[in-house]
Amino acid sequence: MIWVETLINGALLGGLYGLLGIGLALVFGVMRVVNIAHGEFMVLSAFFAVLLAAMFPSVPPLLMLIPVIAVSFVVGWAYQAVIVNRVIKSPDPLAPLLLTFGVSVILRNVMVEIFGADVRSLQVGELSRASLEIAGLSIGIMPLLTLVLAALLFMVLQLILRRTEFGRIVRATADRADIVRLSGVKPDRIYNYVMGLSLALGAIGGVLLAVRSSFTPFSGAERLLIAFEVIVLGGLGSFWGALLGGIALGMAQLIGLKIDPNAGLLYAHLLFFCMLLIRPSGLVSSKA
Amino acid sequence: MALLEVSGLQVFYGDLQAVFDMDFTVGDGEAVALVGANGAGKSTFLKALVGLNEERKGAVYFDGIDISRMPAEQVSRLGLIMVPEGRLLFDSLTIEENLLMGTVNRRSGTWTLRRVFDLFPILEERRRMYPGQLSGGQQQMAAIGRALMSNPRLLLCDEISLGLAPVMVEQIYRSFADIRREGTAVVLVEQDVKRALGASERVYCLLKGRVSLTGDARETNPERLTQAYFGT
Repeated sequence: MIWVETLINGALLGGLYGLLGIGLALVFGVMRVVNIAHGEFMVLSAFFAVLLAAMFPSVPPLLMLIPVIAVSFVVGWAYQAVIVNRVIKSPDPLAPLLLTFGVSVILRNVMVEIFGADVRSLQVGELSRASLEIAGLSIGIMPLLTLVLAALLFMVLQLILRRTEFGRIVRATADRADIVRLSGVKPDRIYNYVMGLSLALGAIGGVLLAVRSSFTPFSGAERLLIAFEVIVLGGLGSFWGALLGGIALGMAQLIGLKIDPNAGLLYAHLLFFCMLLIRPSGLVSSKA
Repeated sequence: MALLEVSGLQVFYGDLQAVFDMDFTVGDGEAVALVGANGAGKSTFLKALVGLNEERKGAVYFDGIDISRMPAEQVSRLGLIMVPEGRLLFDSLTIEENLLMGTVNRRSGTWTLRRVFDLFPILEERRRMYPGQLSGGQQQMAAIGRALMSNPRLLLCDEISLGLAPVMVEQIYRSFADIRREGTAVVLVEQDVKRALGASERVYCLLKGRVSLTGDARETNPERLTQAYFGT
């Protein structure tokens, strides 16, 4: 019974991991750029949420998601427009990698400067301890909410990409960035929106993760690693794959912790490593 | 002033110059053939017109507007639309979605999804399929359809018969009658000289980046054209 509970909790944690991955996957899928600073932006949004929660103690902390998402979208838009678009046409694939790496280093140090190196977390009070008893299993409300939210976001994102003109333009730009110009589309503008969307999704992941576990200005690298593993596990460019990849990682982590309480993320990383050897194309290898 | 007026255009390709001092005009509703051997600079010239190749110097006026420094996405909104060589459809979009990409520049006119499907009925049958599932000829129809959805004033067709079965080429060329009935001007870039001449009023021949012959498409002396084409 305890194992069933572990598996379920792993799946719930996986929903959150899927969210960490999806923003990174979106940017990679559309502009073939791995945004190394994705993790730092997540941590930044968590700091912002903590700050807001301290300023408005009477407002439920989870409601802070709304302003954090909005600000993250704008930050992503500006980050792309001012910085990343400069190197995106470079024939050298290292250029965007180095640039976003540089941004991640700067962000980390700026956060230490502003917020200090203390360990923080977002307190949501009762909600973090509340749980449901179903058939003798204890399931946390907060992880359950997170998974539901993740699944919902995946669906909305999928709908936007599949059913709207914006989604068509994004997919077409991902296919052939030069040819969309013949249809009157400026690829740079689409990239701005996509980066905004990516950081907004990252912010949701970042804030929800801050409820579950504490963070410092140095947590970005770990978040990026999870996000990266999620999308590689799921199959690059596949959205539902990212959710599946997240769930696989979450389960591996919690099973690992059960066997060896000091393991941390070791078993999740091992799963990732084994998958790379067995099935490098990911769980879902078709295009989403 | 003609619909498209190009004078003294130079186009560069990295360190190389691909087009030298080119003069070129297309009147309203006119069909013009642009022929020449492989590497004569035809595609480079078209790309310079629509702004995909921005290494260009010289005067280019479309509908009286200076487009010599305009980026591609703005040129598209004026109604100067290119069907690129090799079709270059969007692989992760269905055929219908590919066609709808032509409406993004918000040019209104008589061309709609319905009319494109009437022109190429096979596309309606295959509307939910992806480009990879279609034959080369059908893909070419989709590429032309996508351009038509932008309601072009001037349609630039780059090598639309390349690699297609003769029946397909026949069918595509027949569709130009319908396209031109709307008053759309057409530039046909072709290696298949006969085909291009048969569908055009005037012809330009390019040789090593320079215009080697220009004149009436139907009265051009075949011998002189061969000479202009191969430079012998």
